[in-house]
Amino acid sequence: MTDTPSPLPGYVPTKLVDPFEIFVGPVFETGAPGSRHFIFRVDERHVNMRGVLHGGMLMTYADLTLGAAVWDATDYAPSVTLNMHAQFLKPAHAGDIVEVTPQLTRKTRALVFMRGDFTVAGRTIFTAESIWKLLGRD
Amino acid sequence: MVEHDPRISEGAVNVSVGGFNRFVGPLFRLPETPGDEIRRFAFIVTDKHMNSAGTVHGGMLMTFVDISMSQTARAVSGAKSCSTVSLNCDFVGPGRLGDVIEARVKVTRRARTMVFMSAELVSGDHTLLVATGLWKVPVES
Repeated sequence: MTDTPSPLPGYVPTKLVDPFEIFVGPVFETGAPGSRHFIFRVDERHVNMRGVLHGGMLMTYADLTLGAAVWDATDYAPSVTLNMHAQFLKPAHAGDIVEVTPQLTRKTRALVFMRGDFTVAGRTIFTAESIWKLLGRD
Repeated sequence: MVEHDPRISEGAVNVSVGGFNRFVGPLFRLPETPGDEIRRFAFIVTDKHMNSAGTVHGGMLMTFVDISMSQTARAVSGAKSCSTVSLNCDFVGPGRLGDVIEARVKVTRRARTMVFMSAELVSGDHTLLVATGLWKVPVES
């Protein structure tokens, strides 16, 4: 677990188990399962040499948060990402707080379709759509 | 500096020299083969790149393909930096701890302000990820 305080009041650390997510985290959340709202503060680890938030970090954050929402929507069924489509609308910088409330687009027996609009100070900087396969379901 | 790993070709260049690239790296650009239009990059999977299921985290695979395609966009445009506009990734198969993962990037079209590319990530005979993406070339550069 992280010792880093939440950048905003009212948030708790998101429980991260994947080594790569722990490596790039922490991430914080508020709200009940199924309608969780996530935040992370961009720091110097996450930016490129021009000081701009790296696309790889945004896609990792998207995989983490949309994946958490898939868990919420499937009663913690094991799943894998099949596809992610990411669109980069505006740059973000160190110190920015990137927020998202993942949206469930559709759920079938075997697939979950998720999307998220990622904002900094209320402006959308990035969108991601991902498709998840529930393991062992045809 | 770390010793050279013999599984990365001699003549490979470390492209993870700063920022997030360095944080997740090391990542390498492999030497070009004359006449080959494919540009190649590679990294070796270590503990930090993994998920709890024992496979390489999808975020790391997307990070690696993004960096490989960004480096290619810079090389073909001559710009100091190019910005990812859109990236679409299909996760075809899992990567494992210790794998040497290679990115193979192909430029579909180089327009004045945009670069269109496709890429795949492979480990040995296995395809891990296929991607297409669109990069913006800055006007002043």
